Amino acid sequence: MAAVRRLFLRLAATLNGRRADADLAREIDAHLQLLQDRYRAQGMNAPDARLAARRAFGGVVNAKESQREARAFQWLSSSLIDFKLGARMLVKYPGLTLVSGIGLAVVTAMAAMSFRVGSLFLDPSVPLEEGDRIVSLQYWDPVVNDAEPRVLHDFITWRDTLRSVVDVGAFRQVSRNLIAADTSPETVNVAEITASGFRVARVPPFLGRPILDTDERPGAPSTLVLGYDIWQRRFSADPQIVGKTVQLGSATHTVVGVMPEGFAFPIANSVWVPLRLEPSRYELRKSPQISIFARLAPGATREQAQAELTTVAARTAAASPATHRQLVPQVIPYTYSFSDMEDPSNAMVLHIIQWLVVLLVVVVCVNVASLIYARTAAREDEIAVRTALGAGRGRIVAQLFLEALLLSMVAATAGLALAAAAFRAVAVAVVPLAGRLPFWMDLRLTAGTGAYVMALTVLAAAIVGAVPALKATGRGVQNRLQGLSRGGGTAMRLGWAWTALIVAQVAFTVALLPPALFHAWSFLQSGLVEPPHVAREFMTAQLVTERLGGSDQNPASDPEFMSRYKIRHGELMRRLLAEPGVDRATYMLQVPGEERLVWVEVEGAGRRVPIASQKDGAVRAGTLGHEARYNRVEPGFFDTFGVPVLRGRALNMADTGSNAAAVVVNRSFAQQIGRDTEVIGRHVRYVGRSGDVQAEHVTLERWYDIVGVVGDTPVTPPALFGNVRPRIYHAAAPGEIYPVTIAAHVSGGVPGDFAPRLRAAAASVDPTLQLRNVLTIDEVLSQETLMARLIAAAIGLLTVSVIALSAAGIYALMSFTVARRRREIGIHTALGARPHRILTRVLSRAFRQIAVGAALGLTVAVILEQVTGGELMNGRGAMVLPLVALLMMAVGLGAALGPALQGLRIDPAEALRDE
Amino acid sequence: MSSKEDQVALLQGTLDLIVLRALSTMGPLHAYSLATRLEQVSDHPLSLNQGTLYPALVRLEQKGWIKGTWQKTDNNRDAKYYAITKAGELALTKQTERWRKLAGLVDKLLLES
Repeated sequence: MAAVRRLFLRLAATLNGRRADADLAREIDAHLQLLQDRYRAQGMNAPDARLAARRAFGGVVNAKESQREARAFQWLSSSLIDFKLGARMLVKYPGLTLVSGIGLAVVTAMAAMSFRVGSLFLDPSVPLEEGDRIVSLQYWDPVVNDAEPRVLHDFITWRDTLRSVVDVGAFRQVSRNLIAADTSPETVNVAEITASGFRVARVPPFLGRPILDTDERPGAPSTLVLGYDIWQRRFSADPQIVGKTVQLGSATHTVVGVMPEGFAFPIANSVWVPLRLEPSRYELRKSPQISIFARLAPGATREQAQAELTTVAARTAAASPATHRQLVPQVIPYTYSFSDMEDPSNAMVLHIIQWLVVLLVVVVCVNVASLIYARTAAREDEIAVRTALGAGRGRIVAQLFLEALLLSMVAATAGLALAAAAFRAVAVAVVPLAGRLPFWMDLRLTAGTGAYVMALTVLAAAIVGAVPALKATGRGVQNRLQGLSRGGGTAMRLGWAWTALIVAQVAFTVALLPPALFHAWSFLQSGLVEPPHVAREFMTAQLVTERLGGSDQNPASDPEFMSRYKIRHGELMRRLLAEPGVDRATYMLQVPGEERLVWVEVEGAGRRVPIASQKDGAVRAGTLGHEARYNRVEPGFFDTFGVPVLRGRALNMADTGSNAAAVVVNRSFAQQIGRDTEVIGRHVRYVGRSGDVQAEHVTLERWYDIVGVVGDTPVTPPALFGNVRPRIYHAAAPGEIYPVTIAAHVSGGVPGDFAPRLRAAAASVDPTLQLRNVLTIDEVLSQETLMARLIAAAIGLLTVSVIALSAAGIYALMSFTVARRRREIGIHTALGARPHRILTRVLSRAFRQIAVGAALGLTVAVILEQVTGGELMNGRGAMVLPLVALLMMAVGLGAALGPALQGLRIDPAEALRDE
Repeated sequence: MSSKEDQVALLQGTLDLIVLRALSTMGPLHAYSLATRLEQVSDHPLSLNQGTLYPALVRLEQKGWIKGTWQKTDNNRDAKYYAITKAGELALTKQTERWRKLAGLVDKLLLES
């Protein structure tokens, strides 16, 4: 306590220095007065008494000084001065401050974001009471390198035998239509969960009761617990909701409770119903997929639980070796099983990314350090004088460190603000696309992030400030002082290390700039384009239906399911056309503009169309095939979207079915892939990676016939999505696509109440029919545009700041090396050398360094371009790279020119006198 | 640590001890009367400048062992009176004990040699 008090008093004294000084002066005055009084009493006259008093007291100044030293933290008050000096320096060199500040801020923002995102995955803490004691129990299947979710039987065994964990529970997520009286149905994320889930979460309901064990029994009344948001929104916060019935898909449930605001356990759920699965109906490892969770028993550790589970699992494996022999039981932190962090390689990737970002911070810091070094060199005189006045090396290093710390702190603050803004933008752009985030994922910066950034800030200041300072004060300060007396020239030497730094700077910039800018540009192109007005006239939705029996087989290969789906799809299309305002409706696999990428190869009558056409950028070397976008559409699709048939014919119903061979391509396809020759009558096939993207729709290596060429879809802006405009269409009959996307055209724009009407129409066809992504094409494209803008902004900001730093670094180093030779230039002039010859000499040396760097950068860029098969710059490297190299040369030579011309202007006599 | 530093630390500690002792036995005193008191007890009255006292007073005040307040002297002058605190009394007991032990040790060593 005493130590804390002392510290506090000293701190207060440091900060209150003036008041303490005044108090001391008053005390010393009083002391001197008392001494004088004594000497007067002894019979001295006033002046003698005053002198005697002073003698007896000793040095007043000394007393004050020693008192001040005892009083304050000397280092702290000098640090305050250093901070003030640092702030003055930042203002004095605004360009340097801006360039290095922006660079550090951007890289700090990146580091903060990568740390936060990393900790969202790696940090197992769950925002529930004793959340870190909630665990997931699972089987890991090393054969498929994934968790085995069909573990209903094991769940029963574990629940009944395990003692080191309590409240073992299970859940699965399903999406269902919530239908309440007088409102249109809404698709909600339902958790079918055991009653133990509510005991594990330890959150009491806001109204009514949670799900109880009795609700799980077969034959018990169907109960349901509502989330707070949905209760507010769909039921107008009805306080009498408990006891009322609502329809969830095809079943009716009684509401028994409402959970408090923010509760979304187990993942991001808003409705809870009891999990009723009977293991007897399934064979081992053939049950529906579930997730198992539990709480560690009081006093038990995860290791103990793991040991117990391993023992239990060993018994199961012995009893059922056919299904369980290779399964590895795991007790892992709750969130890991949903973020795939139980796989150490995933966690490692996250760690590696974080370290790479730290490396980037270091790279940027080295850049800033080279800038600061050049400035430190310019401040040699100041450093020398301060050394002469008695400042120790530590003191000067500390001053330069604090200056750098101030810079990095300002940058870190800006970086944190940037990161927070980016997270907000991501929340706006991504969350509507991806749905609600899991409840433990909070995209906000935390105190932990702040601490991490603080540590990075100190690291940055150490690199930026202390390293150049140590070099600047290391040796030759004496020489410098001698030089100072003679005036002119700078004594700091830039050795081979700095030449290497210039070369590396140039190389790095030349290699990095083109691909980064190229990517930023392609995203920016997508981001800049507004969807055309007509996109607002199309409402789209994806049609999904509830699957009974909990089977996990692919629905498209279940004929019974698909025929039921086909009937509902057809009925919904009829209802849709009957809606007021709707004049046309169609269906397709994917909304125009959202189609997936495929790779195609076109063949003529027995002749291959040459694939390599690097010029138009449509072909990527090494990928074999042209990029195109793939869609399966109703034959009426083209009429509905107003796409004209330019040549040949449109698709018709005869072109549907799995044996159909007719396809239609758009104008871009004909121009870019067909190379402006007639494509009708030619064959096209899917090659390369197409199979990965569309395994169930695309038949690889089968030849299809191109029967027509259509115009581009008016709803998709031409420049959108990385310039891949070629499109290929197949015909599909109702019931051939699952899940199908429907689109309706409403002249003059889709009215605001259309979405609920569409939902109501779907519910009247079948309450289990779910509509997902009910959006106008304009909304779909706007979300994409926003994402593209964000990515472009991120890449652009990072690139520009790194490039600006790099260019500034090159400029600073070049001008510094030339400044060092200013006097030499002056002497040469004095000796009669011609100015242009001197200039050529100086510049040629600078040129050599930059040229070596540019050549190195070009080599790296060309190698990268080759290795990635032209993906980096889309085959345009040959054009972009020399431009960048020229730009860097211009920057470097420009930097060298200024000081060189200055050197020429030096009075030769003055230059000689210096020597 | 060098022997010179040891010496300084020892002297500082001694001065602090003397000040504490004076305040403990004589009650609140201002710097002037403390200095006078020191002159009285030491053999060489002018060996110590009175100003030397101030760093010790600051040190002790920061440790919370003494506390200063402005009051009037008998002849109506303003002066800062220092009084020993409870923590100071405690520290005095401890320091005195330490000093006695140290002094005894030194005595013993000097006698033996």
